[in-house]
Amino acid sequence: MKRSSILILVLSMVLVLSLTVGAFAQVNNPNTFTKINMGTIDSLDPHYQYDNASSEIYANIYENLIMFKEGDITQYEPLLATEVPTVNNGLIKNDGTTYIFPIREGVTFHEGGTLTPEDVKYSFMRGLIHDRNGGPWWMLYGPLFDAGGLSDITEQVVGVENPSELTAAQSAEVYAELDKAISVDGNKVVFNLPKPNPTFLSVVVHDNGLGAIIDKEWSIEQGAWDGSPETIAEYYDPAKESDPLHEQTNGTGPFMLNTWEKGKRIALDRNDNYWREPAQLERVIINYIDEWSTRKLMLQRGDADVVYMDKQYQSQVENLDGVEFISGLPNLYTGYGLMNWTIDTKGNPDVHSGELDGNGVPSDFFEDINVRKAFNYSMNYDAFVSEVMDGDGQQARGPIPEPFLGFDEDSPVYTMDLEKAEEHFKKAFDGELWDKGFEITILYNTGNSMRKTASDMLKYNIEQINPNFKINVRGIQWASYLDRMIAGKFTLGFIGWGADYADPHNFTVPFMRSDGTFGNFKGESYKEWAKENGVDSLVNKGVEVTDREEREEIYKEIQNIAYEYATDLYLYQPTAHILMRDWVQGWTYDPILHDGIYYYRIYKAQE
Amino acid sequence: MISYIVRRLLILPIILIGVTLLVFSMIMMLGPYERLSTYITDPAQLKNVDVDVLVTKLGLDDPWYQQYGRWISGVARGDMGWSESAGSTVTQAFLNRFPATAELGLLALLPVVVGGVILGVFASVHHNDVWDHVSRVLAIIGWSVPTFVFGLIMLMIFYGTLGWFPPSRLDSWALDIVNSTGFINYTNFFIIDGLLNANFAIVGNAIRHLIAPVITISILWWAFIMRITRSSMLEILRRDYIRTARAKGVTENVVVYKHAVRNALIPVVTVAGRMVLGLLGGLVITETIFNIKGLGQFMAQAAQQLDYPAVLGGTLYFGFLLIVINLCVDVSYAIIDPRIRLE
Amino acid sequence: MEWQEVVVRLFKNKISLIGLILIIFFGVIAIGAPWIAPPSDPSEPYMVPRAGWGFEPQPPSSEHIFGTAEGQYDIFYGIIWGTRTAFRIGFIIVGISSFIGILVGTLAGYYGGWFDEVVMRITDIFMAIPFLIAAIVMTTILGQGLRNVMIALITFGWMNSARLMRSQVLSIKEEEFVIAADALGAGDFRIIFKHVILNTIFPLVIEASMRMGSMVITASTLSFLGIGAPEGYADWGQMISFARNWILGGEGNAIKYWFTVVIPGGAITLFCLSWNLIGDAFRDILDPKLQ
Repeated sequence: MKRSSILILVLSMVLVLSLTVGAFAQVNNPNTFTKINMGTIDSLDPHYQYDNASSEIYANIYENLIMFKEGDITQYEPLLATEVPTVNNGLIKNDGTTYIFPIREGVTFHEGGTLTPEDVKYSFMRGLIHDRNGGPWWMLYGPLFDAGGLSDITEQVVGVENPSELTAAQSAEVYAELDKAISVDGNKVVFNLPKPNPTFLSVVVHDNGLGAIIDKEWSIEQGAWDGSPETIAEYYDPAKESDPLHEQTNGTGPFMLNTWEKGKRIALDRNDNYWREPAQLERVIINYIDEWSTRKLMLQRGDADVVYMDKQYQSQVENLDGVEFISGLPNLYTGYGLMNWTIDTKGNPDVHSGELDGNGVPSDFFEDINVRKAFNYSMNYDAFVSEVMDGDGQQARGPIPEPFLGFDEDSPVYTMDLEKAEEHFKKAFDGELWDKGFEITILYNTGNSMRKTASDMLKYNIEQINPNFKINVRGIQWASYLDRMIAGKFTLGFIGWGADYADPHNFTVPFMRSDGTFGNFKGESYKEWAKENGVDSLVNKGVEVTDREEREEIYKEIQNIAYEYATDLYLYQPTAHILMRDWVQGWTYDPILHDGIYYYRIYKAQE
Repeated sequence: MISYIVRRLLILPIILIGVTLLVFSMIMMLGPYERLSTYITDPAQLKNVDVDVLVTKLGLDDPWYQQYGRWISGVARGDMGWSESAGSTVTQAFLNRFPATAELGLLALLPVVVGGVILGVFASVHHNDVWDHVSRVLAIIGWSVPTFVFGLIMLMIFYGTLGWFPPSRLDSWALDIVNSTGFINYTNFFIIDGLLNANFAIVGNAIRHLIAPVITISILWWAFIMRITRSSMLEILRRDYIRTARAKGVTENVVVYKHAVRNALIPVVTVAGRMVLGLLGGLVITETIFNIKGLGQFMAQAAQQLDYPAVLGGTLYFGFLLIVINLCVDVSYAIIDPRIRLE
Repeated sequence: MEWQEVVVRLFKNKISLIGLILIIFFGVIAIGAPWIAPPSDPSEPYMVPRAGWGFEPQPPSSEHIFGTAEGQYDIFYGIIWGTRTAFRIGFIIVGISSFIGILVGTLAGYYGGWFDEVVMRITDIFMAIPFLIAAIVMTTILGQGLRNVMIALITFGWMNSARLMRSQVLSIKEEEFVIAADALGAGDFRIIFKHVILNTIFPLVIEASMRMGSMVITASTLSFLGIGAPEGYADWGQMISFARNWILGGEGNAIKYWFTVVIPGGAITLFCLSWNLIGDAFRDILDPKLQ
């Protein structure tokens, strides 16, 4: 053949080959998974952490006694226990006050120890003693002791309010009390509850760090609680920097810690000695980058497999090559406008004159049910869902979100009805409000556009009703916002709550109970009202009965009370979404882990 | 000269105390609940927290002199406190982030200053002709386009489309090497450490990641240096002694470069000093976009979260830098223009 | 030189003419804002009206000729009223801080000695506070709002003018004409004002003119960080910071949201350009050597 034709042949082969090679999009780094998140990890100590970023790490390094069935938060499966306690298999006894967990054998920790029932008891006891201020342990103190925290127990038993002040003898007494709740019986660990509590299993399930099992011997070596009944004072509520498990990990999970560069990056390696089949991924790397555009570019180039995305940028990613955007995932979250029934008017610029004189609002502005109802009728729920949330999500029907007990998609809710709003405004304060008008400032946390939009909507609608109604919308820094809330100075503020564990109790307490996180900020008159009108007792009753149908009735009633009395302005339940490369396989959504991913079943392949 | 320098340095601690006191008192103007926001960054963290107990435990309602006293006695012992926003000690946080900022800043310094001065001289020599106008307009555009616009467009083209200059300081594989036990981190400047460890792949990778942010910074600062140089040069070129030199027949080049430039540099030095300060203080936007976890981003975040140990630490650092740089600038005036006497 | 002559020369100089025309153009827009873009709420004309509640910016259309930014803020309205904001920010901040800076710098440089020392150390203290930190902390204390932003920018914005002025004064102090004037018995004040300031003010004039433009840029940096003017305020810097998350475009079309960047960016650039041209022209005119 002539030289030139050989050349042409070779060149065309090269061309064809290069095209075909390009046609099979290869998977970048098939054994390493890279995720880019926002924010930062608070702590690697599973008993300390209480934020989304940290819980993702805990969930892959540590394990609990039981876990959710994959993709279904209404069913449990055994994990470090060999069976899930139920009434049927006899592992729940004594009318729901005893839970028995047989512990699995042959499980090893990353640093070499073997799992025993002693480790399980130690893990829980250590956590109960640790009980850091602002941490998650109140969730377990409820079911196990009917208390709010360690300080309640110490006060009850030895009359000391601050556990750091316990003497050795007092500590031993308190310990004896704690000891009653958990015992080891052969290869089983037994939990004894004072009363039946249907939330118990949902609190200790995998996804919730406080149920993480740590290695007793290793932890003691690192400087965590030494296992002695007399040292509670030393190990109670340590500062983050003195927490021995803050940066060191030793769990039984499918991944182990390689390096943690605080605020920047964390790298996990596969645990090849995992008690189940080892994971398919060799490494997991999570980077923390706050700039959306940078994250997006890294995803497009394949340098990242999953990136965090704020819902509002959805329109930018719906049709990108190689990228999959999944939305409409269940999100256990309620966003609402919290109304303060007793506003502190002293030195408070947001109430303006502080009187019912047309130039401000009085302290009891939101105490009047007509005002609350009028505000509820003035919100443009449809536009919020369709425009602000792009149609993903729904109007909230009360404190309890879908799919929890008490949620009823046919329950009554407010709709935008400016005529009804006008009616209620006219009735408010015996007609005085309508004549004189008012001026109020609604605050939002700067940077939170959704909350600003909700506030703008109220302003837009209410100001149309009566020219004497004036609403100012003002953004303030988080520091000031927090201050206003704690000091009872805010008027109306949009805020939200995401589930810690899969039970409606986790919503009724903070929103409705007088001592709940938000109930606390709603002012004295709300607290009195909640107590006197049976709201508190109803919320408590919800966890005193175990029969599912009975509970459902109770929660439906609570949901209804929120509507009837317009206690707050319930606005929205968003959906969740995820943005990832299309070569990510094996992913299922876990609403409690939320943005976090359980990497055990994930692998990368082009399909 | 020496005594002047020594005198200026002796005043340093007084100024640092003055500055930190000023910043501290600004922060103290906020109530304890507002300062609590450093520790409580999300309303969810309010669950079951007795805020007043927390406030007392953290010492947030102690009298201001007690809180400042605690801080400053800590500093005297070398302990700058704990930074809540960084999750580590303040010293650790600074040591962690300083190399990132400094590497970027120092690398950008040369092209910016040299380039800017050359362009400025060039424009002044071609005063009022096309080149002058063109370079001035380009400089203005460079100055007025917000950094993030330019940075993001650079990222989009050179990383998104071409894949040449990725964000962050190193690729993942390079980070693994740097974090491994085989690699010794002398300075945390990846270029220097790479050379010291004889690992040229690291050096190359670090440089590759620095190109885009350096260009982004340069576009902004070139304009600044160029304009000051130009106006200063134009000033000088009209002076009598220049006219004299020209009349005497000295070649134009010598006139420009030997006589004019030297004297035109005084305001340039002032501005350059300010620029070095800005660079070493960290450029928030550039760092955020290119994911370089440096001091600029850290300080902005710490300020927003009212993380006062970090803020005060940053003030100390910045204050120290500033005084040293200002001193260098003032000394250089005397060197450039012998008529200026340092008193 | 008489002011009339300055103005005449300003018009004759081609470069300054362009700058002047641009500034007058902006000035006309600023003054005519209430008619060009009537506010929907007359008590708060600086709050940009929202065309809807969704997030995605909408391209220019017949209703919104410049389109809408993130959050459906009308860009046209924002640009028009933003012109007023730009002038306000520029004049107030640059004016006051330059005045303070010139005063401080001249006095320090001229009198020298321990006075210079003390003043410069105080300047150091102010400069030593990292600007961004100070701005953020001040905004938290004073609250948001343009007025507080201006206070913060003035408080921490005079030092560079002072240092620049001082360096100029130092070098000219030794010039023969100054020494001569002093020897001839001219009073301090006269020397300072007529000989020192007028001869050394050029870099300051240039700097002030650049700062008129850069104030808008600083405002956009502050908006970027979440402090600065409140969300929805008619400020070019804020408008362009809205573009931050949309610059990369969407769905493979990189320039899909060009209007969120180009239009406010164009306004900022032209504004800066015009001030710089004017500043340069002033320099050309006021230079005594050209008389």
